[in-house]
Parts: sequence; structure tokens; C-alpha cells
Amino acid sequence: MNTNRNVRLSRRDFLKLAGVGTAGLALSNYLAACAPAGSNTLNVLVPAAPDPAPPGVGQFSLDAFEQWKKDNGFEVAYEAPPWPQLHDKMAANFAAGQYVHDIIYMSGWVPEFADYLIDFTNDLPADLVADLPASSFSTLTWGGKRLGVIFTLSLLTMFYNTELLEGIGVKEAPKTWDELKGVAKELTGGGKYGWVLNYGAPEGIGGVASYWMCFLQQAGGKLYGDNGMPAFNNSAGVDSLQFMVDLMEFTDPGSLSYVGINDATNVFSAGQAAMMMNWPFMWKPANDPASSKVVGKVGSAILPAGPAGSASIDGTDAYTITKLSPNPEGARKLIEFYLDKEVQKRQVIDTGWLPIRLSVLNDPEVQAAAPNAVTVLEQAQHPYDSYVTPDYNAVTTAIGVEIQKALAGTQSAQDAITTASDLVTEIVKKRG
Amino acid sequence: MGEGSNSPLPLGEGLGVRASTLMQTSNNYNRNRYRLGIWFTAPAVIVLLIVLAYPIIASLVLSFLKVRFGGDGLTFAWHGITNYSELFTNQLFREALFRSAYFTVLEVAAVIFLALSVALMLNHPLGRSAFYRVVLLVPWALSPVANAVLWKWIYNANYGILNQSLIGLGIIQENIIWLGTPWLALNMILIADVWKAVPFIALLMLAGLQNIPSYLYKAARLDGANAWQQFVHVTLPGLKTTLVISVVLQSIWALKVFDLIYVLTKGSPADSTVLLNYLSWRETFSNLDVGYGAAIANILFILMFMLALVYIRALRPRQTTQRDG
Repeated sequence: MNTNRNVRLSRRDFLKLAGVGTAGLALSNYLAACAPAGSNTLNVLVPAAPDPAPPGVGQFSLDAFEQWKKDNGFEVAYEAPPWPQLHDKMAANFAAGQYVHDIIYMSGWVPEFADYLIDFTNDLPADLVADLPASSFSTLTWGGKRLGVIFTLSLLTMFYNTELLEGIGVKEAPKTWDELKGVAKELTGGGKYGWVLNYGAPEGIGGVASYWMCFLQQAGGKLYGDNGMPAFNNSAGVDSLQFMVDLMEFTDPGSLSYVGINDATNVFSAGQAAMMMNWPFMWKPANDPASSKVVGKVGSAILPAGPAGSASIDGTDAYTITKLSPNPEGARKLIEFYLDKEVQKRQVIDTGWLPIRLSVLNDPEVQAAAPNAVTVLEQAQHPYDSYVTPDYNAVTTAIGVEIQKALAGTQSAQDAITTASDLVTEIVKKRG
Repeated sequence: MGEGSNSPLPLGEGLGVRASTLMQTSNNYNRNRYRLGIWFTAPAVIVLLIVLAYPIIASLVLSFLKVRFGGDGLTFAWHGITNYSELFTNQLFREALFRSAYFTVLEVAAVIFLALSVALMLNHPLGRSAFYRVVLLVPWALSPVANAVLWKWIYNANYGILNQSLIGLGIIQENIIWLGTPWLALNMILIADVWKAVPFIALLMLAGLQNIPSYLYKAARLDGANAWQQFVHVTLPGLKTTLVISVVLQSIWALKVFDLIYVLTKGSPADSTVLLNYLSWRETFSNLDVGYGAAIANILFILMFMLALVYIRALRPRQTTQRDG
């Protein structure tokens, strides 16, 4: 028996084999990529640090995080793009109608994506829910469902340079609009400014429209009436914008071009502006010698009162669970871990982002590490509605653009408010 | 060998059969080659259909729909030409269209002028060092976002190097808010885009310059042409195709500028830097009006498609007319 058989491989056969091999390889890779992640993997979409991020993205509670994964048998896969990319990313994922993430960070987008989220808050431990400010659920409630849980108390408050204010004999932060304008006026000159903020981007929380909402509520106004239609084309709306316009004379003119809060924070931290409103996280970087020239000279206070008192807006930083998550139980457990008292404590001490749990906020160690926590708690005693709706981006873009025109002096506050009101009316009607 | 080669056929008949067999073999060979060609090109064609044709068709369809976000993905409803009719009555769209045209014309003119100047310098004996070409490529090699962040720092109103330099030189007395005034902001974005675009076009021009035969310059010099006349009558005609390609390519790239606007201004101040591509993104991804955003994208696509046709025409080999005698 001849076992030495010649195997002749023609060029065509070779190509066929190569083609089949390549196709097989591609198919196996494709199937592997399409296969759902193992049920022990939780996919989490959050912003990259220094924006509010959980353990594993933010550098805190790392050992506890590893232990949690071991104890619960889960792997956690983070996707952590820069904050501005989050909305686009989740919109694209939701539009695809396929499971991508179990947990998603939200900031004012809950009404917009309400159909994609589940109400899991009733399954949270009662002692945890009781330890959260009841008002923290207001921006997360849509259609009668609580679709997330806030993990950081993030209200805009006032930050000021104590040295600059003491230089003109002012020992405390301004308490009223008039005082704010007066102090800002005195501190403007010689390359320094009384006030700085990022007015460059119109839309979203942290855009110029959201800043105006603070002043609007301080003037006693509100964005929407009981019928859901715009209710700011009145004296409160115009006065609040007029105050921002009046303050522009003592505001760093670069504010009109700063598109992110970090742009304005850098000016304050360089000692070139005396006052600004900012999120609580600022306390830590402003007192970090590596990034700040105003270390030990930073004061915090509630926002100055307008005719109706002080008011702010809520950053609404929350964790939500998606409807398509194959493991909502595991996702909820992970969120419970994020809200664990010790994790919340390390969150503020190591990153500057305040906790949301009242017991942790009142912890002396926390208040020593973040003296502004008391200020934020006090600010929370005043209105802080962010007026989030499903068309929040469109609404804030429409308002923000008109506000920018007023701040640049190309139209009056009255005209800006009238136009903005008309545009928002159109958007609300279009929403139906 | 085939069976026919051994057949005892008469000479003429044999030749006919051979010719017929050869023809048949040739036909089979060509048919097989054709089939094989199809198999070879099929993957590329399929990939092109997936990544190019499908999105284009999907975008076209989307622009005639009203798209809403629902719990299980997008929901669609027929919207006719409403998205398009809304576009043409929308002032922001008209302004964005005008600004896009302004931006494109100025950007292309500036890039072509600067790139040609750079290419002429690089083509000069003193500029032929590889070092210059490497340095020239740096702006082009930078990632778009890194480039935008770089310019954000340069233009910063308080500590940007542009203000510091101009104040240091005594040209300005106080900081200028480069991105805080409508037309100024748009023009500053234009400058940043020109800086990024010049290297590639300059290299195209350089390749074009090196293709011009040196004897043409010698002949021109013998005819007494000075440097300017050589440029006008030899260089420019020799660069005609390169120039057309450069203008078309750069026009397409200028029309779709996005990253600089996203990083530097986000369309501000007061929408004054909102160009068509940015507006399309904003409506689609920020405001989630997907159908309306698709309609804007399609208008942009049509503009770029027309430019692409010019590009293809410019690249088509010229047909020479043969003359008798």
C-alpha cells in the first residue's frame, strides 16, 4: 500500500482554502464580538475624572471596590469618556435599541431617556433611601417613576478669593445682588476681575442658560408655568438677565468665550478673578498647590440673594439602570456600593465631590476635609430647580443663545427674554 | 494538449477547428478571469456598500421621517418634505449655510495661496532638505482634537500666547477676546483650520511642481522670461490639475469642519460659529431631532458630492485629438 500520496494544491484550491479560512476566522471573531458579555460583567458608562466618577475611574476606595467585585462575583467594565461626549454616546446606544450598558451616569437627561431606564429605587435598602435628601429625586422622577439615584450633592454655590475681598475691607461674601455688584466693581481693575464664569456654551447643565436659571429663581421667577408652557417672559425673567448684563462690566470678558467650567475655574485659581459660582468639587483643586495660586484663600458661601432670596440649580449627577440590562439586580447592588457610607466618605475626601448621604455630609471628618459641604447643605435649603425636560438641550440652547446676545450687548435683556420665550414655546409645542 | 491537435483533419478544416477551439478556450479563459475578478472585488464592494451606500441611503430616508426616541429604540413616522421645508424657512440654517460658504471660500483661498508659497520655497534648492518637509508635516500629523485644544490655549483670553505675544510686541494694549465676538471668532477658527490644512496641500503642490519638466524653465529663460513670467506661463499652467484637485479637496474638508468648532466655541458666541456640519450634529445628537439633522447632513452631502464630481473630472485623463498631416 502506497502511503506516499502526492497532494497537489492548485492555485485555485489554495485561494479557495484561504478564502474559506479567512471567512471562518472573520465569522468566529464576529460571533465572539456579538456574544453578550458574561452575566457576571457589569458595563458602566460614566464620565472620566475629574468629573464625578465612581471607584475604579476616580482614584478612591479602590481596595473596597476590588473586595466588592470578589464578594459579589462581578467584573465591572467601565467606559469613561470625557463628560461632553456622554450624551452623544448614550443617545447613539439607545437609538440602536441594543444592550450596551447596565449602569449609566446621567446629568439632567433622565426625562429625555426615561423610556430606556428602570425604576429600581424601591428596591434600595430603606435606611439608604432615608439617608438621601428627598428632594434629590425630583430631577430623576418622570412619569411618576424614580429612574435613578443622585450620588453627589452638587449645587452651584459661591466661591470667592478671601484675600482679594479682605483687600477692600470685605470680610464676608456678598449676600445680595447689590452687594455682589458693588464688590465686583471694586475688585475689577489692574488685570483682575470681580466675576468670572463660562458663558461660552449655551446648552445643558453648566451652560449659560442654566446659570441664568439661578438668577431667575433668585428673582422669584420660574421657567415653566403649571400648564408646562414658558413662564419667564416677565419682570423676574428680565430682571435676572439684566443683572447678569450689569455684572458683565465687572466680569472677565473672556467669560463669553469660555465653553467649559474648567476655563473659568482656571482664571479664579490663578487669582485673576475674585468671585464665581461653581460646583462643590472646586474646593479641592482650588486648594491644591499643584494647580492653584489661591490655596488657603478660598471662601465659599451660598449664592447672593435676589429679590426672592438665594437659589441655585442642581447638577443632577445620578446613576441609572438601563431597561435592556441583563442584570439589573447586579447593577443595583453596584449602585448600593457606590452609595456605601465609607465609599461616599472617600469620594469627598479623595476627589472633592460631596456625598449625597446626609449622615456622611454631617460627618465631622467630611466637613473638615470639605468645609464647603456646610455651605452646600445651606444652599439646599433654598430653591434649586434645574427644570430638566425631555428637550432640555434644545430649550437651553434656545435660551442660552439669546442670553449670549444680551451679555455681548447686541440686544436688550427684554428682547432676549421675549425671543427666548417664543422659541421655547415652539419647542414645547413641538414636543406635544 | 487538446485532443484536436492529433486529429487527421484536412489542413483548412483543421485550422478552422483549431481557431474555433482557441477562441472557445480564450472565451472560457476570459469568462473565468471575469468570475475570479468578481470574487476578488466582491469583499471590497460589499464593504463599500455597507460603509458608504447604506449610511447615505439611510440618511436620505431618515430626512423624510420624524424620528423619536422610544423605549425599544427609535420610532419612525413619515414626515414628507417637512424637514426640508422647515430647513429653508429656518434663519439659523440660512445663516449657517452662508457662514459655511464664507468659511469655505476664504479658507480655500488662504490654504491654496499659503500652500503654493510653501511648495515654491520647498522646491527651491535651499529648501530641499528633508528636515523642512518633516517640520511641515507636524500640523497635519496632529490629531484634530489635539490641534483644536492647542488653539484653544493659544486664543485663551487671559493667558493665551497670542495675546501675550501681541502685548509684548506692543501691537495691542489689552487682551483681545478672540473667541468672544461673532465674526472674529469665526475668522480665528478659520486661521486654525488653515494652519492644519496647509501642509498636505503644500506637499501636493510640491509633487506637482516637481513634475514640471525643467527644460520648460530653461526654454522660458532663453526666451528672456523673468521669474514672474516663468511663474505665470510655466509654473501655473503646469500646476493646473494639482490646483484643481487641491481646491476641490480643500473645499470638501472646509465644508465639513467640526472638531475646531466643537472644542473652541461650541457654536458660540450666539451661534455665530455654527456651520452646517456642526448644526447637523447639534440637531441630531444634542437635540435628538434625527430627521431634521439628517436633512441638514444631506444638503451638506449634495454640496460635497458636486465638488467630488469636479474632482473626478479633474482627475480624468485628457483625450488628445489626433490630427492628420
